[in-house]
Amino acid sequence: MEPLIIEPTEFTPNVLFDPNNSVFEISGFSRPENVIGFYRPILKWLEEFNDNLLSINTDYKKSQLTINLKMTYFNSASSKFLLDILLEFMKFHSKGNKVDINWFYEEGDDEIQESGEEMSDMIGYPFNFISYKN
Amino acid sequence: MDNGEIILNHKGPLSYEEIGFLLNRMTMLLDKLGMNVTTKKKAYSAMVESLENIYKHQDIIADDFEHVPLFTMERCDESFCISASNSILNHKIPALKEKLDRVNSLDKNGLKDLYKSTILSGNVSPKGGAGLGIINIAKVSENKIVYSFKQMNDTHSYFNIKVTISHKNTK
Repeated sequence: MEPLIIEPTEFTPNVLFDPNNSVFEISGFSRPENVIGFYRPILKWLEEFNDNLLSINTDYKKSQLTINLKMTYFNSASSKFLLDILLEFMKFHSKGNKVDINWFYEEGDDEIQESGEEMSDMIGYPFNFISYKN
Repeated sequence: MDNGEIILNHKGPLSYEEIGFLLNRMTMLLDKLGMNVTTKKKAYSAMVESLENIYKHQDIIADDFEHVPLFTMERCDESFCISASNSILNHKIPALKEKLDRVNSLDKNGLKDLYKSTILSGNVSPKGGAGLGIINIAKVSENKIVYSFKQMNDTHSYFNIKVTISHKNTK
């Protein structure tokens, strides 16, 4: 399956889903004018990836997925879709694949850190919280 | 609320690009004032949700120049005060008022619970709203949202919302 690459714009984040290395990253700023138009294709890609991966999953062949979320800002409409994306990744976990979710936040940015804690609580899965200096 | 200096204002219909322009100006101003990252992010969130609310619901009445969308950000000694106004269809008022009264009745943990239940149950509307904007404003403001509806005619009212972001001891 081809990677999903979406270049960032002033209003939308950078998306890099690399199925070959099992690394999935969303980073930057999310305030799309058409939030559904931006996030729906990402969810569709993930559903397809989900079907592909789970069809080759056996008891002896499991994957390890790394999800890196490095958001600097996302509006409330985007948060709904980020949650949907994370819930899609949880389907891999429920089938026995290992999923690591890394939540990056700028040192001192309580807002993004707390948003991550809430997301983690909402999907009922622990995140690795990683701070960085701007 | 102490009287302060207006640092940002906008009158008239808003485009998406203008929202970006206002946000960039606000970020530069708060940087200049030496505000910390959390204060900046809180002000940013409150401003985005207020401006996007105007953008999505600018039910403009063509020949009414008195009730055009209006946005101001004021800097006071201990806070930033955001005021946003736009016209609204009268039949939308009861549901909005109920939502505002609900968030105003909740504390920080109550708001977190409401955010969680809304995001897990609600669908995103065609306009992109997820019913979360008002809750988000209440979460970042840590103060009650002050609001008013002024009836303009049989179909429309002028809605105003005031949000205060504290910056005391946060520089």
